[in-house]
Amino acid sequence: MRSAFLGRNFLAARLFCVLAAVLWLGAGSAAAKDWKTVRFGMDASYAPFESVTPSGDIVGFEVDYGRAICAKLNLTCAFQNQDWDGIIPSLLANKFDVIFSSMNITDERKKRVIFSDVYYATPPVFAGPASDKSNDVSPAALKGKSIGTQSSTIHANFLERFYKDSDIKLYPTQDEPNLDLASGRLDFVVGDIFAEKDFIEKKGNGCCRIIAQIQRVPGIHGPGVGAAFRPEDTDLRDLFNKAIAELDADGSYKKIEAKYFQEDIRGK
Amino acid sequence: MDTLRSLLGFVYDADLLSRYGWRLIEGLRITAIVVTSSCVIGFVLAYPICLARMARSWPLSVAALGYITVFRGTPLLCQLYLVYYGAGEIRPFLQSVGLWMFFRDAFFCCIFVFALNTAAYQAEIFRGALAAVSKGQREAAAALGLSRYRTNRHVVWPQAFLVALRPLGNELISMVKSSALAAIVTLLDLMGQTRFIFARTFDFSIYLYAAVIYLAITETIRRLWRRIERAASPHMALVTPATMPEPVRAGRTLGRPVIAD
Amino acid sequence: MTAFNLLFGPDGWGPLLLRGAVVTLLLGLATVPVGFGSGLALAIAKTAGHRGVRAFSEAYTTFFRGIPDLLALFIVYFGLQAALDRLGSVLGLGTIELNAFFAGVLALGAVAAAYSSEVWVAALASVPRGQREAAASLGLDRRRTFVLVLWPQLIRVALPGLGNIWSIMLKDTSLISTLAVMDLLRAASEASKNTREPLLFYTAAASVYLVFSIVSAVVQTRLERRADRGFA
Repeated sequence: MRSAFLGRNFLAARLFCVLAAVLWLGAGSAAAKDWKTVRFGMDASYAPFESVTPSGDIVGFEVDYGRAICAKLNLTCAFQNQDWDGIIPSLLANKFDVIFSSMNITDERKKRVIFSDVYYATPPVFAGPASDKSNDVSPAALKGKSIGTQSSTIHANFLERFYKDSDIKLYPTQDEPNLDLASGRLDFVVGDIFAEKDFIEKKGNGCCRIIAQIQRVPGIHGPGVGAAFRPEDTDLRDLFNKAIAELDADGSYKKIEAKYFQEDIRGK
Repeated sequence: MDTLRSLLGFVYDADLLSRYGWRLIEGLRITAIVVTSSCVIGFVLAYPICLARMARSWPLSVAALGYITVFRGTPLLCQLYLVYYGAGEIRPFLQSVGLWMFFRDAFFCCIFVFALNTAAYQAEIFRGALAAVSKGQREAAAALGLSRYRTNRHVVWPQAFLVALRPLGNELISMVKSSALAAIVTLLDLMGQTRFIFARTFDFSIYLYAAVIYLAITETIRRLWRRIERAASPHMALVTPATMPEPVRAGRTLGRPVIAD
Repeated sequence: MTAFNLLFGPDGWGPLLLRGAVVTLLLGLATVPVGFGSGLALAIAKTAGHRGVRAFSEAYTTFFRGIPDLLALFIVYFGLQAALDRLGSVLGLGTIELNAFFAGVLALGAVAAAYSSEVWVAALASVPRGQREAAASLGLDRRRTFVLVLWPQLIRVALPGLGNIWSIMLKDTSLISTLAVMDLLRAASEASKNTREPLLFYTAAASVYLVFSIVSAVVQTRLERRADRGFA
């Protein structure tokens, strides 16, 4: 039985090894891809930037903006929902082509992915219960208090660096700390100003208010939000930068922005 | 040489461990506390539930059956979400009965849900174990004039204990594995710390380290349990040889007793 | 908004939950052939002649039974993605796309294979060797032997254990909700986060899971009764 295997299939086995070796050696050279469809990965639990409707569709500012970019580049877009914690690994494992999910540009992330130009920059804020009348959010004042935010975010890094004496709680999405703030489980939440505003106005029921804005710390918060690509997809990144500039120039950005926000989020 | 180093680096990353190893140990501590508390509380709750299940009083029996069916028939994660976020929703009520401080904390919420969950499974284990003691034993004890308590203490429980031992060990291992779900409601147990470290470093090998640690825990429990089984039954060939398969989880389908082993 | 409105109204989340329930069911059903089939293969491997094969299947089973299902899911999900990506680039096939559902099926199947292999080993051991010999002496070929002689005896012993694993797997599909697959639990999460009514939606999801469990138990009893036909 064993010798029969070796006899009949040995030739095939040798051919296969040679083929595999050739392919392995040849696989290094990756030609620039011809982009026809771009798959967007986003964590659709971040209203008003991206969220899920009852019918299961993803809607939001970044969805509309993403569509505008695709239109400018003559590409078809597809949008995928992906949990925030696994969003970079999924990009690197080729589940989608670009992360378009309010991801801030940080040095830590630049080690793994490349970013487009900044397409919006907004300040982070502390949100707290409406009954809290003080505006003091210094680390000393918040000592021992429970502060919640989404894990793997600049907000989490910020809290870890400066609020070591507080009880920091990390959640898979930004929705959950907001819910826990509303229910009183948390004393404070740190998040993006517009994400928090959206929660407070639409779902807060008067529970909470924005306590204070946080000054962006360059080393932690970075310059702003950009689209993330795999390191080898420099061509796609350049295409996006071109589209971002063009949409700024012809006013489309302002139009989409006006649909969701009363204020300027470009932050330039 | 570089490939070899990078390969080894994948398996043992000294830098990663030196920076974050303490987190894993801290997570392990939390996991140990959560698992032990839940299992002990579940054990204490399981016997009354088991008695209620076998009671002659119809409402009691149905209530117990309902409890067991619900906790065994729905996913643990669903139960966890229900209690954790549901408690937030009924906060005013909880505050009025003074329980809010308890449910506010993820740690207590997790122990609460895990304990209720394991109590249901353990109640079924007890039920199967008690049923495994043949009726003749009780009849013989009655013929000897032993009181109800004496019968239980000297005849029924020792035999039932032996039958229940293996499934209870499996349940403990199961609880260790299920405790990983606590990470999803912010508790920084071993799994929670692992996810935290992965979010910081995007280094996949941290999951493998966590797997090794969990494996070490479950294997240790398994071997310890074998020792306990052997020590408890020197008079019987109850302990199966190493090649015999182990049942999965109490070997019990919903409402249908299948005695483990 | 009343509970009824939230679920069944025009903007209701009922349809999303229903679709989630279908995904959960499909996930469970898809895992059965993958997981139980691989489990049978693993069980056969455990009794194989080659020492390495036996060692591998033992190690596989110990690994997946010793770690939390959530961790196993993450490892298979992310590890498989990375491995396939590497494979794709090596073979020059470009992107091997693995959609989340399919990755979930493979991940759950990997766990189910480990659990069910133990059940299959017991089942295989319960069929006396004489059966194969008798079938051979009757002149039955290998396929007929398996289908007519071995399988009925195998499935009769394996069914209770497999049914147990099925119910565990059905509940484990809820873990997929942490990986962005819109199953029942995730649909309930989305709905509860958007409407701030966790009790309503998680209770609804739990009820659906309960229905699945009870129906599974009934079906299993029927199947067991059927498998017992012709046996003393």
